Amino acid sequence: MTASICAASDTRKNAEHTVVVAITSHSVFESRDGDDVFGAGLAFPLLQALQRVNEQLLEGNPDESLLFDVVLVTTDRKQQQQRSLIMSSTTHHGLDVSRFCFSCEEDFVESLQTNAVDLFLSTDRKELLQASEQGVVSALLETHSASPPLEQLRILFCGDFLIQPDAGLKLAGAQSAKGFLSRLGEVRRRFSVQDSPLSITVLTSRGGRESCGSAICVLRSFGINADEAYCLAGAPRAPILNVLQPHFIFMSFDG
Amino acid sequence: MSMDALQLMSGHVQLTASSNAPSSIRDSRGSWEDQDALSSKLQETSARRSRKVEGGVFFPKPENAVTVAVSSRVLFRTDREQKVYEQKGIEEYLSYQIQHENKPFAPGPAFSFVKALEAVNGRLRALYPQSEELFDLVLVTYNHAHVGVRLINTINHHNLFIERFCMTGGSSPIGYLKAWHTNLYLSADADKVREALAEGIAAATMFMPEKLTEVSETQLRVAFDGDAVLFSDESERIFKTHGLDKFFEHEKENEDTLLDHGPLKGFLEALGKLQKKFYAKGQRLDCPIRTFLVTARSAASSGIRALKTLRAWGLEIDEALFLAGAPKGPMLEKIRPHIYFDDQMFHIEGAAQMGTIAAHVPYGIAQTHQNKQK
Repeated sequence: MTASICAASDTRKNAEHTVVVAITSHSVFESRDGDDVFGAGLAFPLLQALQRVNEQLLEGNPDESLLFDVVLVTTDRKQQQQRSLIMSSTTHHGLDVSRFCFSCEEDFVESLQTNAVDLFLSTDRKELLQASEQGVVSALLETHSASPPLEQLRILFCGDFLIQPDAGLKLAGAQSAKGFLSRLGEVRRRFSVQDSPLSITVLTSRGGRESCGSAICVLRSFGINADEAYCLAGAPRAPILNVLQPHFIFMSFDG
Repeated sequence: MSMDALQLMSGHVQLTASSNAPSSIRDSRGSWEDQDALSSKLQETSARRSRKVEGGVFFPKPENAVTVAVSSRVLFRTDREQKVYEQKGIEEYLSYQIQHENKPFAPGPAFSFVKALEAVNGRLRALYPQSEELFDLVLVTYNHAHVGVRLINTINHHNLFIERFCMTGGSSPIGYLKAWHTNLYLSADADKVREALAEGIAAATMFMPEKLTEVSETQLRVAFDGDAVLFSDESERIFKTHGLDKFFEHEKENEDTLLDHGPLKGFLEALGKLQKKFYAKGQRLDCPIRTFLVTARSAASSGIRALKTLRAWGLEIDEALFLAGAPKGPMLEKIRPHIYFDDQMFHIEGAAQMGTIAAHVPYGIAQTHQNKQK
């Protein structure tokens, strides 16, 4: 088994206070036949939104250390062997990536853990389930949006991530989730209620108003005041998600 | 994570219980006394995943139901909070709301209308337990989710059956109104109402009258103005630009030409469909929905065209009142509708003075002639 190799780029941030976000390379880049760099993939709007948040954090405080720190991670052998292509594509597109982790299917979760990744993002639910089962806070990258990408970073929490009816109040990988959520809340509080470069939304698909109310309260208990809340009580999700346009979604990945 | 960890940064947070003992509709719910009940509460919630609850459908698909979206400012009275927002800005407003989280709001202008919709639903479920053709209520508000807990506590306090909501945190609600297949949108904000009308959604602005006359708790009564509400504003344009004589002439000449439809025609149609369900079960005399046309047209002349148009559209209206230009206030006071739709603020104000809940439809030529009286 090829051991995963991590490489630092020139834009490495002060490790102590950052929110480390690992994104799979297969969602960031797209193969383009006959091209010597990868094309922009589905996660590009997300990367731009993260970058915008960082810019505004630094505008507010040039010494700000609570920033988003982006790590690109490969999760299969094929991409693992395309190291130089991935790194050169990153440079080509001017992406603000501080580290690369070239892992494969078997060890990517381990490399997420050893790299103290706070949040793992992918379009692949199997990968997300794997990572969250081992205590890495994970969220699904949303990529279906047809309209032009929004400037604001939009984060969605589903009710079933915050409240699991069968197990009482429990979050996947509770300890790590707690840490991540309170830092996310800190980032959000750096900005005012209106005109924020990031927005946090709660959505409950099932159950009535009380389940949405308790989801709002659970987020609050972790230091996050949700901006928006939607209670569907069984109404179809897709039309609402199309308007919401989240960049990534926290949800339960099992079942 | 322990239950004790459920804490606000500034204080203890708790969702307050429904104030009354559960009625038969709410048996599956129970009350929310303290946080120990939280997990059992959540188990009940998951049991409601199946949409059909005994005794009827409670969570219809939006496209099958008559969806009525109301904003928090028309469902409840939020004058004091509005003042805080206008005078001190949004941060003060939000912290005021959070501080008063356990204090329910008082009923607003749309409250009795919403209660009446619930009463109709009860009757529909009794007759058609499998049907999704019901009123579906959605709270659609510009408010931030910060205010969410207070709104939920208030809904609990008043025992309203509102299980669906959108708190858009400042973004436009229009996209969500469309996603919910909204049949009627009621708001305190005329700009949002105009936006909705422009998107083809029936909408009206509501105001809190100084006094409120009592309305029925068992029969939903909805009154509509004719021109620029049920019908287009074409005839009103003639009247505004050429005067009353020209208006009568035009209406006589065009008596057999149908009027074009107005923004609230669809909602009247939806009400008619539900009425027919009661008639089909022999409940015509006892129908819990009653509709009224209250128009300045005259029965003998210009009113004929209105009636012919309604008939051609296959729409029945229970009572048509042709006032021939007389003030509408006294007539509305007799009818006691839960809501009266008119395009002219003059009539809205007249209705409010007599305690009728009126909703302004900001559509058509009257919007540029607000000071002229009909």
